[in-house]
Order: sequence, then C-alpha cells, then structure tokens
Amino acid sequence: MADLRIGAGQRTAGRTGTGTLAVITSERTAGTTTGTSFRKSAGRSLQKAAGKALRNSAAIVLLLGLWEALPRLGVVDRVFVPPISTDLAAWWDLLVSGRLTEHFQASLLRSLAGFGLAIVLAVPLGLLIGWYRPLNDFLTPVLELFRNTSAVALLPVFILIFGLGETSKVVFVFYACSWPILLNTISGVRTVEPLLIKSARSLGLGPIRLFRKVVLPAAVPTIFTGVRLAGAHSILVLLFAEMVGARAGLGYLINDAQAGFRIPDMYAGIITISLLGLLFNLLLLALQRRFSTWRVS
Amino acid sequence: MTITLDSRTATRTKIGIREVSRVFDSPDGGPPFVAMDGVTLDVREGEFLTLVGPSGCGKSTLLEMIAGLTSPSSGEIVIDGTPVTGPGLDRGIVFQQYALFPWRTALSNIEFGLEAKAVPRRERAELARHYLDLVGLSGFEHRHPHELSGGMRQRVAIARSLAFDPDVLLMDEPFAALDAQTRESLQEELLTIWEKTGKTVVFITHGIDEALYLGQRVAVMSSRPGRILTTVETPFDSREGDLRADPTFGEYRHHLWTLLRPETAGPTGSGRLRVVTHDG
Repeated sequence: MADLRIGAGQRTAGRTGTGTLAVITSERTAGTTTGTSFRKSAGRSLQKAAGKALRNSAAIVLLLGLWEALPRLGVVDRVFVPPISTDLAAWWDLLVSGRLTEHFQASLLRSLAGFGLAIVLAVPLGLLIGWYRPLNDFLTPVLELFRNTSAVALLPVFILIFGLGETSKVVFVFYACSWPILLNTISGVRTVEPLLIKSARSLGLGPIRLFRKVVLPAAVPTIFTGVRLAGAHSILVLLFAEMVGARAGLGYLINDAQAGFRIPDMYAGIITISLLGLLFNLLLLALQRRFSTWRVS
Repeated sequence: MTITLDSRTATRTKIGIREVSRVFDSPDGGPPFVAMDGVTLDVREGEFLTLVGPSGCGKSTLLEMIAGLTSPSSGEIVIDGTPVTGPGLDRGIVFQQYALFPWRTALSNIEFGLEAKAVPRRERAELARHYLDLVGLSGFEHRHPHELSGGMRQRVAIARSLAFDPDVLLMDEPFAALDAQTRESLQEELLTIWEKTGKTVVFITHGIDEALYLGQRVAVMSSRPGRILTTVETPFDSREGDLRADPTFGEYRHHLWTLLRPETAGPTGSGRLRVVTHDG
C-alpha cells in the first residue's frame, strides 16, 4: 500500500514540476541500457566470430586436406598438382635459400610504390575534381572512358614508353590504383550530406574552412573504400606485369617455375601471393576502421 | 527617463522582414511561380515567436532568408536595422534533422561554432561543457551522434547553436522528428533555456499546439503564395502545469485551426489532418 502511494506520488511529480528531469533520466537510462546491451552483444558477437572463424578455418582445413589427398590418391595428376606438403616443402626451401624473400621484396616494393604514388596523387586530384563542379562536368566523360578501359590493355603502352624495367611496372600499378581512389574520392566529396554543408555555412564558414572542416572529414570513409580497392588492385595487376616481363618478383617466380617445370615452386609462389593479398587487405581494413569509427554501417 | 528607455528596449524590433517575396522561374517557360508574396513581420528583441503554416508555405525558406542562406527575390530582411547579406554568428539555426557532424563527439560538435568564432581552445572546451550541461547531457561529452537518441542529438544541436552566443535562435521544426514524450520535455526545456538566456527565438512548426504552447506570439502563414495571415498574441503568463488542458488554450487552438483550415483543405476537406501530419 505504502509502496503504491509513493509510486503514485512520483508519477504526479513527474508530470508537473520535475517532468523534464524525469524524462532526461529515463533517456539516460535508455543510454545505459544501450551500453550494457552493447557489451552483451559484443560478447555474443565475439562468440559468433569464434564460431565463424571455426567454420571458415574448417573450409580451409578441408581444402588443404583435399589438396593433400587427391594427388596422393591419384584422382588428380600429382605432377601438375603436387600434394600441399610437397608445395610447402618447396616454399620452405625457397624461403631458406633467400630467393623467396628476394622475389617477395621486389613485388612488395613495386606495389607499394605504385599504390603509394596513387594515394598521394589521386586523393588530392579527386578532392579537386569533386569540389569544383565545372571541372567535374568537364572531366566526367574522359573519366568514364578511362575507368572502363582495362589497365591490363594499357600495359604494352607503358612498356613501350617506360621500357621493361621497374618504371613501367610502378607506373602500371600506379595507373591501376589511381582509378578506384580517384573515383571514390570524387564521389565522397560530391555526396556529402547537404544539410551538414548548410549547417556549416549558416555559421559563416568560408569555402576553404567548409572544405577542411566538413567536406574532407565527411568524405574520408568513401575515400578509404577506394584506397582498399586500390590495395587489392595493386597486387593483382603487378602480378600480371611481372609475368609479362620481369627478372624478379612473385609473378616472375610463378611464371619461371612453370616454364622450368618446377611445379611445387610455382605453387609456393601462388601461396605467397595469396597470403600477401590477404595481409594487405586486413591491414587496410584495420586502417579504415580506425579512420571511420563514427560511420554507422 | 530610465523607465522610458526600458519600455523602448522591450519592444525594440530585432528582426524586420519587409515585403519579402520569393519567385521561381517556371522550368517550362510558363508564368513564374510565386512562392512567397509580400511577407512583412517584425520580431521583437527577446521574443519567442512561432511561425505556423501548412507544408509548402515557404516558412523554411523564410527562416533560411533570415539566416542569410538564401536571399529574397524582392524586399529585405534587417537585423538590428542592418540588412542581412549573408550568414553570420549573430544567428544560430537548429534543423529538424539535427545536422550534427557524425565524426565529431557531442562536445566537439558544440565546439564547432566556437571554432568558427575563433574562441581559444581551452575556453572552447569549457564553454561546450557548460552548454552540454545546460541541455542536460553532461556525461555524454565523448559520445558520437550515432550513439545518442534522437532527443539527445537535438539537445546537442541546440547546445551547439547556443554555445557561440547568437542573439537570434532560428529553429526549423526542431522537434518534428521526435516522439511525443521527448518532444514535450524538450519544449519545456527550450522555454527554460529561453528564459535563462533571453534570446530572440523564431520557431517554425506545422503543429498548432506546439506553436501555441511555445510562442509568446504566433504568426500564421498561408500557402501558395506564402503570406502572413495574422499574428496572435498568446495570453498565457506561464507554462506551468498542463497548459494544453486549459480551456483558453482550446479556444486559441480552435481559432488558429479555423485560420489554417481553408489554407490546407483539399478537395475532400480533410484540412486539419494534413496540418498535423505533413511537415513543411
């Protein structure tokens, strides 16, 4: 009975004098609840992630098992597809001999150089094109044409101009990486929520400060999507360039091993390149998360 | 002598809207479309004025003109006697969709206007904390907008507009996206803040109840073309208790409803519903 009366009293108080306070408190409680449920859901998602990792690795274990078993059972020709243990042994030998490191280094340097150059040049260019509408209107047809031209089709051109050395490969990677970065940067700048711009403009911000304080931070997540795409591109296209003409690099290693019929070495090269791609992507993904924590996905 | 000065400042015009029209060229070469025609309205210093009207009557455009974000086709808007030529820190806007910067925390969002005003860094943080506290959100300094509820986001947006201390607060249906309970509590808080700070407030709404509850004066706008039909002084001395249940409130409400009804009545005559449900 007493409890009931207190409850009723509180309710009346809530409706008249301290109504505001009561609502704030309830909102705050809502906030805290979200906090706890967030923690709970974090625990659950961790569990989920562990389960997912198990399922994912199960698929990989199965793949490796088949890779080992099928050649041994004679289902596939073990000359062309040696069992994984043979390939890994070859990989180890290459690593110990230092040859793998040499090829790996050559590839990594080329792709990083091209990729880095693309970031340094394509991001500012994209910002410029995205910000100045006349420039954007002027360049759009050309951009459309180039984005639909495969970079690979232009490799002979690069070789003609820059020769077979390092320059043509770096330029080639740079070219291929530039497009996703450039196009994403342009779209990032052009798709900034107009209300945010209006809001900043109402505070009397001039174009330069508006760009630095609103447009640039708002575009960062989209730019990063482009950078991540370019990271994947950089390895894909470099491999191709190294297969066409090179004396070092993982692409060269794979091609050369195949030509010299050192099949396990070839697979060793392939495994290395896929691990490199994976590593690159994970690194960029972590960077992207770090730079756009605020983005609600 | 002092008394005359006081009474004069009390009714001094803060914002003067003089014969403001807005005309758009018709895209198909027809006659130009008159969105707003000869709007004249004075907002007094320190006044809480609500502007109510049906959707599409141009009330948001009028607010943006006061803010200096767009300019009238003819006529002029003066603030303290000086014509508005662009945006400025003497006016702050609060939008319906909050317009918070998602990459900034609550505190840093509030600091945004202070950065624009070139307030020193240390002072910025201090002021931002003060205003966050004023809107009842201390403890939420480091939350990002997506971690806050709609009501909290609008609180941050209000704090942001108050922090750089503008004379005029322009509010464009700021509570329209909130649930009824949150809206009521924010309405109460806004009045408290207004009393505390003495700002001149122009508050746009399409809700008659909201206009009547908040405004010292309600300006009623018609649509196509947008015109000020009339302004109504509200008779309430205080907003304590359940004002909306007061019979006088009901009478005024009905009066405004009758004024707006012919403005929104469609062919079926369901005007009242449209006033309440559509946003402008």
